[in-house]
Amino acid sequence: MKRQVPLILCFAFGIVMILTQFSPHSFSQGIYEEVISWTLIISPFALVLATATLIQTHVARIQRRTDHWQYSFVVFVGLITMVVIGVPFGPQHQAFEWLYTNIQVPMDATMFSLLAFFIASAAFRAFRARTFEASLLLITALIVMMGNVPVGDLIWNTVLGWLPLEDGASKARQWILNNPNLSARRGIILGVSLGVISQSIRIILGIERSYLGGGD
Amino acid sequence: MELFGIWVAALLTLCIYSFLYQDNPFYRFAEHLFVGISVGYGIVLSIHQGLVPFALKPLWAALTGESLSGLIKLIPIGVGLLFFARLSPQHVWLIRYPIAILIGFGAGIAIPNVLRANIFEQTRGTIEPFAAMHAGTLSGFGVFEAILMVAGVVCTLTYFFFSVEHRGPVKWLSKVGIAFLMIGFGSAFGNTVMGRVALLIQRVDFLLSDWLNLIS
Repeated sequence: MKRQVPLILCFAFGIVMILTQFSPHSFSQGIYEEVISWTLIISPFALVLATATLIQTHVARIQRRTDHWQYSFVVFVGLITMVVIGVPFGPQHQAFEWLYTNIQVPMDATMFSLLAFFIASAAFRAFRARTFEASLLLITALIVMMGNVPVGDLIWNTVLGWLPLEDGASKARQWILNNPNLSARRGIILGVSLGVISQSIRIILGIERSYLGGGD
Repeated sequence: MELFGIWVAALLTLCIYSFLYQDNPFYRFAEHLFVGISVGYGIVLSIHQGLVPFALKPLWAALTGESLSGLIKLIPIGVGLLFFARLSPQHVWLIRYPIAILIGFGAGIAIPNVLRANIFEQTRGTIEPFAAMHAGTLSGFGVFEAILMVAGVVCTLTYFFFSVEHRGPVKWLSKVGIAFLMIGFGSAFGNTVMGRVALLIQRVDFLLSDWLNLIS
């Protein structure tokens, strides 16, 4: 009951999803769509549980008065405001959209733009063209970056204007992305995909059971 | 309200950028608010795009006698509620049921899709130019690109092939594979840096034009 039923459920749902995708019959497609809707129903409960865990963590921080515990209230304010407005009125509500546009979107973009500084400083410290492979990585990154901005073509046309190739920086970037980069990516994608398929088969057949966790 | 939104977004942007100097209360405030707002946003979306249309609406239709088929949605709702068994140490094993269903669903849906999109399509894309080569419609440089593509994919896969010892020809193939991988990583790095820099430019543009009106 505690381990066998989950294994049977996993097997049944896995096999159903495989078979229904290979059959265009309306009955098969009906089952396929029904199972997808089931997972869309089940998944939000996992998110709510994750939120409950987040709340537990921050309540514990407040109770124990750990470092910067006061900021846990800020998490609650953000969370409660979004949920109180969004759940009853929906994501199309004016107040919810205002919070999304003026708080979430700017902070999201700013957080990711912070990485520009950290990537640059980390690259400056870590990148050393000591070997052939490291030099290849460095030169490729440089060409791709220069080809991404108009100043790259400007430099190319000014310095290498005598060459018969105009706007060479952006063209070189595009060629690298479409050829050697794509072939390396295809190699990685093929390898990863074979791994995903073999792991999925192991999960469906119950050979891989780590998702069940420990205990009986 | 729009002006107030711009001020809020600008001040939060500055709060996050203050981390470039050092960790400080303004950054911690924005960071915690971002966590709360993002989690709340995720909950609202998953409820309104998953639970409401796929569970609550069909269930309501069943309760009002419109369509009894909606009663079947009680099963995934019940399964989803089992996630909360995590909160009771005695019944924690029940959480395996929804996890097993989601894992089985994910594994089942992955096999045909990964086969189709990542193995068949990528292989087709790799060897497709040879059809044009056979038809005689490929230029000399196109032939070089087609051969480079196949060589890159084969060498990259050889690097990840651990079933044979990397000696002799295999060693050289895998060395060429490393070169292709370095070009791939360099391209990814260059694109990532430029993506982050684009976000930085967008945020600075927001501060200077929308907030301070220094750029028209």
